[in-house]
Amino acid sequence: MPEKKPPTKNVFRKLEPYLYLAPATILVVLVFIYPVIQIMRTSLLQNTASGIKTIGLTNYRLVSEDPVFWTALKNNGKLLFSVPLMTVLALFIAILLFEHVRGWLVYRGLIFLPYILAIPVVGTTFVYLLGLNGIVNTLLRTVGAGFLAQDWLGSATWVVPSISLVIIYREMGFGVVLFLARLMSLEKEILEAAEIDGANWRQKHFFVTLPQLAGVIEFFVVVELITMLSWVFAYVFTMTGGGPGFASTVMEFYIWKHAFAFRSPGIASALAVVLLATTTFLIILQLRLRRRSLEESI
Amino acid sequence: MRKPLYRLFAILLVSALLLAACAQAAVTQAPQEVKTEAPKEEPISLTFWYWAESDAPGADAWMKETVEAYKKIKPNVAVEVVPQSTDTLISAFQAAATAKSGPDIASQWATGPVMGFVWQDALVPVSDYVPAAELDNWLNLNENKYNDKYWAASMYLIGIDVMYNKDLFAKAGVTAPESGRWTWDEFIAACDKLKAADITPWAIGDKDGYGGAWWFANYGIQSLDSTDDLRQAIIGAKPFTDEHYTGWYKDLDEMVKKGYFNQDVMSLDLSQGVRLFWEGKAAMAFGTDGMIKQALTDLGEDKVGVMKTPKKGTGKLADVGNATQSISFFITKWCKNPQAAADFLTFMHTPERLASWYKHTGVIAADKRFDRSLVTSPVLKQMMEWETTGPQVWLENFLPGQIDSDADLTGGQMIFSQSGTPDDVAALWQRAAETWRNQHPDELTNWQNWQQ
Repeated sequence: MPEKKPPTKNVFRKLEPYLYLAPATILVVLVFIYPVIQIMRTSLLQNTASGIKTIGLTNYRLVSEDPVFWTALKNNGKLLFSVPLMTVLALFIAILLFEHVRGWLVYRGLIFLPYILAIPVVGTTFVYLLGLNGIVNTLLRTVGAGFLAQDWLGSATWVVPSISLVIIYREMGFGVVLFLARLMSLEKEILEAAEIDGANWRQKHFFVTLPQLAGVIEFFVVVELITMLSWVFAYVFTMTGGGPGFASTVMEFYIWKHAFAFRSPGIASALAVVLLATTTFLIILQLRLRRRSLEESI
Repeated sequence: MRKPLYRLFAILLVSALLLAACAQAAVTQAPQEVKTEAPKEEPISLTFWYWAESDAPGADAWMKETVEAYKKIKPNVAVEVVPQSTDTLISAFQAAATAKSGPDIASQWATGPVMGFVWQDALVPVSDYVPAAELDNWLNLNENKYNDKYWAASMYLIGIDVMYNKDLFAKAGVTAPESGRWTWDEFIAACDKLKAADITPWAIGDKDGYGGAWWFANYGIQSLDSTDDLRQAIIGAKPFTDEHYTGWYKDLDEMVKKGYFNQDVMSLDLSQGVRLFWEGKAAMAFGTDGMIKQALTDLGEDKVGVMKTPKKGTGKLADVGNATQSISFFITKWCKNPQAAADFLTFMHTPERLASWYKHTGVIAADKRFDRSLVTSPVLKQMMEWETTGPQVWLENFLPGQIDSDADLTGGQMIFSQSGTPDDVAALWQRAAETWRNQHPDELTNWQNWQQ
């Protein structure tokens, strides 16, 4: 007869994986789940003359009635258009560097440099560059293109595109380094085979290189989508303060104003929940589209 | 014969015991006395979240000197000064008020912002700790009066009037008003002349929104009859879209369209805009006492004059002064030694400290004991006269923070950047007030009950 294991040992075996998972789970609950629940709870509260009251979804209604909320959401939406542009640029530069153009190591360092600079440093620098009498316009006037000079950050028309360019300038370095690292790990034989088969530069990279970079491109796009929705506060705060008017106000900035300047934690929390939901929705959508295209290609 | 001796001995013994008892009592009392004095010598630590440098350059150096001077007379009191940033002045203290923990003394812009924290029960009234005779010397305390108590201390007075460049006026053939104030039409005529002479009439920066806010406080005020008049629109009893409240934006819009301002208004902060005046690149600009003092240094004592904001409105507030204490210092509810905090605020008002304040900053102190002979420049004397004569209202102080941010600051930006019409801005004020009322029923109740 086989020897029976003691029951305590069996229980321990069953519990063992959960015990390994416990520290990480507790950490996630503490730093993510708990704050999210708290924010959701706060979004249902309002300060009234007789104290803090639960008011159901009133804060969400008030938020939806506030035109500034829609302006902020729209501005975040406009910033999303930077992601494809930034991705294409980063890919193009990464492939150029991969081709080992002369001095590529120096270029790689230079392109990555803005990414390691603090956002307020980048923002403040561009305030001086993009002023009506800033360096950019001075250069334009010097080369006889003064008609192109604009108040890049002071004009309601140009402010969001200008902020987008600054974000692209800083974030692109991350994409270049990411794509280049993946390119370096590709098997050279495949590319050589494509060349032998007569593929030109465009065909080689479009049909051979890009499909192999799909995973890392997807990662970069997701990260940048999140950035455009929930990590642009520092750019806006240092460059425009959300102005002129509300022309460059984004969701984060509006949340910050409500939470700290306007003393309305309920509204700020409702806005935060909406932002979290929007971000989550876009990421899930993006991942689903990616999965579908993968399934179709298989 | 022995009996009386015994008696005498007994009396002496009792007396000795009584004396001993008294002595014992005296001995035991002595440490008690020491005990009552001991808390005075106990080390007291005060944290002061301090903001003033942006208004009055030199204020930080003065505060450092003041803390050192206080240490000499109160060695047991250590004051730690934590300078505050303009951008986070409200939000940082809001976080402290929410946590009911933080500084012992803090700074906040007068009236609206201070009242916001009074209603959150984050302050104790300074008038509970500073004797009335002392408070009687402090100026502009009414800016923070609520329920018959003074909730914050004033330190200095800032008036904002128009400084002008005499040389540029002469070049364009413009004569400054003898009365110290132009009518609006006279002002526009002067701007036309300056513009024709290729001189920028007015220097301003509005990237931070404060350029527009200064126009509101100096020009927008002129059609109002009282601060309560403004409060009526804030609480929704009257519409902000009424000409009475926002009609003045048409004049500002006209000025922008006619090119009376420097072109890069939206690229410059308020202070950067004023720099253009200091550099002689514009004929006029709004200026505080400190800014005017800088202009006198940069352009020359005899090259700068001051006048009141041109008059157009006919409201009762059209002629009041606009001096404000700007920043107010108050004692927090959670301060463990409110009396020690009040004593330090009182020390800041000693005549020697007031004189030193002016030496450091060039801004007059908000105190009757301030030695007015320290102000020697005729231009600054004129400013002081305006700032300390008659009623004073800085209208921006009477706006809830959210309306100030989302309508006052933003509305000016819309006009200066030409991204909105005066009607759009009027609608913005109305909408911002409605949004504030809907989102802040607690604040609305306080504003409805606030008898100004």
